[in-house]
Amino acid sequence: MSRVEMMKVRSGHNVDEATRAAFASGRGGPALGLLVHSLTEMRGISDLAAEAVAGAALECENSTELSPHALDLVFAAIERGPQPTTKRSLRYSELSGLPAALVDAIATAERGRGWKAATRGVTQLQLNLPGRARAEIIRIEAGTTVPRHSHKGQEVSLCLVGGYSDGRGAYGPGDVSIADPSSLSDLARRLC
Amino acid sequence: MRLAGEVLVEEDRARFADFLVAVATTRDRAAFSELFAYYAPRVKSYLMRLGSDNAQAEEISQDVMVTVWRKASLFDRNQASVSTWIFRIARNRRIDVFRRTKKPDLDPDEEMLLPSGVDAPDAQVEAMETEARVRAAMKHLPREQLQLLQLSFYEGLSHSEIADKLDIPLGTVKSRIRMAFRKMKTDLDEE
Repeated sequence: MSRVEMMKVRSGHNVDEATRAAFASGRGGPALGLLVHSLTEMRGISDLAAEAVAGAALECENSTELSPHALDLVFAAIERGPQPTTKRSLRYSELSGLPAALVDAIATAERGRGWKAATRGVTQLQLNLPGRARAEIIRIEAGTTVPRHSHKGQEVSLCLVGGYSDGRGAYGPGDVSIADPSSLSDLARRLC
Repeated sequence: MRLAGEVLVEEDRARFADFLVAVATTRDRAAFSELFAYYAPRVKSYLMRLGSDNAQAEEISQDVMVTVWRKASLFDRNQASVSTWIFRIARNRRIDVFRRTKKPDLDPDEEMLLPSGVDAPDAQVEAMETEARVRAAMKHLPREQLQLLQLSFYEGLSHSEIADKLDIPLGTVKSRIRMAFRKMKTDLDEE
């Protein structure tokens, strides 16, 4: 493996049941939403207990009738087949196989501020997403050791390509690590 | 929204899973129509509950059902119930639509993968059991705790939004959600 790319989402908020809810419901803001979306697409995993609550709630939901021709329209859309999509070329080709929404966010960020060198062997790309949480892609060359560091707030990392390890474990594509293990071991276990 | 009424029984859930498998394997339109009749109006209500107007909720609901057809082969009945699987599609689709409003050229359906059976068989059984146990544990929760879980995980309201909506103190919201989790965790561990 020549390198690793990670997506990090940082937030000043505590990560607790409120964040589990944000994961499950998809209303954690654009940055966390994109991470959750990428995670579920890459691994097909998520917080099952929280989603089961939501699935049960959907069964209890009221019925709002669709238009009389809705089913016909759906069958017509099915027969038309998927619409062609815009392919985007990214600076690092290995990133183009990621979930489409993430590729799109990366392409947008590359056209903006672009990749910046951080420390030796490490570059980062800030994703331009609204909301209080910040999302970035970190690219680390093979064999690079990142010095022990700390940061404010909570941090959720999703390994996209390659692999890395820290004091707590080894991570491959689709693995998540969360910066504050004391409050989050349960969530981390469910997600990884 | 009715709260945790036993709207569906396990036989119904098994029947819906049969329908979705039939869509995946034989492109069964009658089975799909059954799923559409049950889920599309609920998905539409879900979207309107989260703030979509009627026209947008109608459009996204139809999109969700198109995705249900196209991705049916990724459904694994050992991994999730049809309800939870369709909830994920609706949730992800909603996230996509709100992102797409800025970039109309992107088709968010592209490469949209849904949970599929990649885990070991033991883990699959465990996933489905977890879901059934969560549903069972929900039945034992006091009504006000259940309502808070649904507002939080289903509607995605923050704790302070829930406090405003129900006109109860923020501390009460936090403690009731914590209690609900503790109760559910105890139920899950006892099984």
